[in-house]
Amino acid sequence: MSKYQSQIGRSLPRVDAADKVAGRTRYLTDIYLDRMVYAYPIYSTISFGTIVAIDPAPAAAVPGFITTLLALDIPGENQVGVIIDDQPLLAAETVRFKGDVIGVAVAETESAAHRAAQLVQVQYVEEQPYLSIDVSKTAQSKYIHSSNIACTHRVDRGDISQGFAAADRIIEADLVTPYQEHYYLEPQGCIVVPETDGRYTVYGSIQCIYYVQKAVARALGIPFSKVTVIQTPIGGAFGGKEDVPSELCARSALAARVVGRPVKMVYRRHDDAQLTSKRHPFQMHYKIGVTNDGRLLVAEINLVENAGAYATLSSVVSYRAAMQAMGPYVIPNIKVLSTAYYTNLPPAGAFRGFGSPQATFGHERVMDHIADQLGIDPVELRLKNVLRPGDMTLTGHQLKASVGIEATIKQAADAADWVNRRRKNTSNGRYRFGIGIAASHYGNCLGAAGWAMDGAAAKIQIRRDGSVTLAYGLSEMGQGANTVITQMAAEVLGIAPERIIVLDPSTDLVPDSGPGVASRNVVMTGNAIRNAASQIVPVLKSAAAEMLETDPDRIELRNDSAEDTDSGNAVNFNDLANHLFISNRPMDSLGWWHVPALKYDPETGVGEAYFTYSYSTHIALVKVDSLTGLVQVEKIWAAHDIGRAINPAGLEGQVEGGVAQGIGWALTEHFQTKNGSVITPNLSTYLVPTTADVSQVQTILVEDPEPLGPWGAKGIGEPAVIPTAAAIANAVSQAVGAPMDSLPMTPEIVLNALD
Amino acid sequence: MLYIEDIEYFDLVVIVNGCEVCRRVPTHQRLLDFLRDDLRLTGTKEVCGEGECGACTVILNGETVNSCLILAVEAHGSEIMTIEGLSHGQNLTDLQQAFIEKHSVQCGYCIPGMVLSAEQLEHEQAQPDREIIKQGLAGNICRCTGYHKIIDAVEQKGDR
Repeated sequence: MSKYQSQIGRSLPRVDAADKVAGRTRYLTDIYLDRMVYAYPIYSTISFGTIVAIDPAPAAAVPGFITTLLALDIPGENQVGVIIDDQPLLAAETVRFKGDVIGVAVAETESAAHRAAQLVQVQYVEEQPYLSIDVSKTAQSKYIHSSNIACTHRVDRGDISQGFAAADRIIEADLVTPYQEHYYLEPQGCIVVPETDGRYTVYGSIQCIYYVQKAVARALGIPFSKVTVIQTPIGGAFGGKEDVPSELCARSALAARVVGRPVKMVYRRHDDAQLTSKRHPFQMHYKIGVTNDGRLLVAEINLVENAGAYATLSSVVSYRAAMQAMGPYVIPNIKVLSTAYYTNLPPAGAFRGFGSPQATFGHERVMDHIADQLGIDPVELRLKNVLRPGDMTLTGHQLKASVGIEATIKQAADAADWVNRRRKNTSNGRYRFGIGIAASHYGNCLGAAGWAMDGAAAKIQIRRDGSVTLAYGLSEMGQGANTVITQMAAEVLGIAPERIIVLDPSTDLVPDSGPGVASRNVVMTGNAIRNAASQIVPVLKSAAAEMLETDPDRIELRNDSAEDTDSGNAVNFNDLANHLFISNRPMDSLGWWHVPALKYDPETGVGEAYFTYSYSTHIALVKVDSLTGLVQVEKIWAAHDIGRAINPAGLEGQVEGGVAQGIGWALTEHFQTKNGSVITPNLSTYLVPTTADVSQVQTILVEDPEPLGPWGAKGIGEPAVIPTAAAIANAVSQAVGAPMDSLPMTPEIVLNALD
Repeated sequence: MLYIEDIEYFDLVVIVNGCEVCRRVPTHQRLLDFLRDDLRLTGTKEVCGEGECGACTVILNGETVNSCLILAVEAHGSEIMTIEGLSHGQNLTDLQQAFIEKHSVQCGYCIPGMVLSAEQLEHEQAQPDREIIKQGLAGNICRCTGYHKIIDAVEQKGDR
């Protein structure tokens, strides 16, 4: 009997790595089907106005042209809004940004479809567009939708007038954060295949297969049961493939319905930048009342978000930003107003962190303003106010367990030798050095605003030969989902991970598991696997007991077999699986987990905004070139309370990648539009970090188990990126001796700050 | 691929992954599209289409090139190796194995180009240090990993 090795906490190599290094993985772009045709969007070339005429005739001259489809060709509902119904699938009257899709051109080749789409003539009556939040706010008539406000959220807790009256000091700051483009490497794409019985199969680079199922069924006016959505391996998403794929898939489905052949649609890179959602730009005003010794008494926070032309996920981004607006600190009196404004720009939507990186930039810059003005060390200030078990979050959620923020601050500060580095002379001739800290909390899963769809499934199916398949409903977008859920399933069954194959998520395999977002895979699928195990493990034990002529209570599933713990007799999992079959026992189980009920009042924003939180602290050490203004991040110490690390190496990879995206947002990624056109659509204008731009990263894992998490685990995908930019801004502020309150900190801006 | 009204054709002969291939191709076809669309060697990826990201890296006559910037006809008479030619089915190279062991892969879309650039780097310089590796891979964009574990893999392979 060999020693039992747990699969939890083990850095199992990724289950998908061998295929990926060999170039064998078939992404959506790599799929070519027999008789397949290509579709491409026809989109608005103006920012705001009314369509008066559409002439598709010139497109017909393109060899290989098949057809064009417009709004009147939609048999179902012309609507693709994911939360708010404000977005037509194909614009019929009003167009609201350059890139608003009006129709679809279909042709025998990709280049013919693209050319045909360009040749369709559209005439408009143009309106004056709203190209910034400030202009949008001033609108008196001719709104982008029924109003220019997409949504508002608030938190109203305690008494802010009393708080300000009691404060020794009142400190205010204005903070600004920009768009960020996902720049997932694989562009948006899908294939829709018309099947018999009026059914459709949709393949795509899709985070949320159930969103797509709904969108396609809605557009075609057919039941969900006739739409199967299969997620192909995703070449990067970061939130960018949350709601946008619904648009591509539903439009391609219109084409598949008419043409009766498989339809492929893949966005070209420039169009991907112009047509799809990005990280919301924020404007923030913070007014904080403190005592002279640095205790936070009161906060009044105004968050304003640029939603772009359609709400997409703005309402929940705005919600999350509001719920986390003052970070992981005790603050008894708080008022937050979070408002998203429509503009005639590309929509802002889901991007890793989902409002949190912006809010963290706000609260962590303001914490450094407070530290500066009170003459208190930034780490000390944070430790003085940090959430501990028993404390209430800013929304009044009393925390009971897994509150690791204090440990992340202390461990990051120790590792970075904070006290010495912060005190050191920060100037060395041409180069100036600075060190900065940022802390944050991230509500796991969808929270009170999305509670109704915060359930997820996992299905374990045992084959007669002892191999196992695992189905789930969320997404492998590169973060390692398939590997960690393999580990968790192997753990509950006591088998080698090599026995398990994870099936591509499909709407046919498990019930609606909500969206593959919000860092929710480990918690949701993990708990669903444990629920599935609670059903199938007793069956396996009873079968093993029958084979070993013993009592099921004495059976343990481990080491790829079932063992009688008293006698040491064991039966191999292959034989056990076969015995399940021949003894007519169930061979599978469907597990389900739902986030427990949350006590939350949407009117006041007070209560349990999320069921638990992941906590993060990043410390950044930067070197600023006073001659060129160039900032080099030397090192990031990244401490994360993730409850429990299922796969530590994979987790480190998440942190390192998140830090790189944070460095990009802070320093190099300067997304710009001019008259509504994206003028940074490519890598020579939009600078995604390369090997030359990334810093050293030291990942520190704090394991403070969450009682409701599987094996104590919480989410990491988004927390990895959230505090990075704020920590860098705090470090650059120290280095240049001036507050850096807006992003990105390009060399030009840093030079101006140095003057 | 570019849309062109009057297509001209050329009879192309190239050696791809050790096999001679003779095809009639449009003269404006990119090498990338020839490999992917005509030969279905889809391990080579298109990301930016402008020579900035390195995802379409292949080895042409012993040099790494961006196959999105080269016409198929320019490769006439040349030897090309794609990611499919590197591992010949199941036999992964030491470097590919190191990518697996070091958790260097996330979404994987950059990885074929990254692996070929790293193989070429090691071919040109035995035991490159981290700075050399960084420079050697600076033309390959990865959006997932932050590059650390990729550099680890190349460094470890160099140590063997």
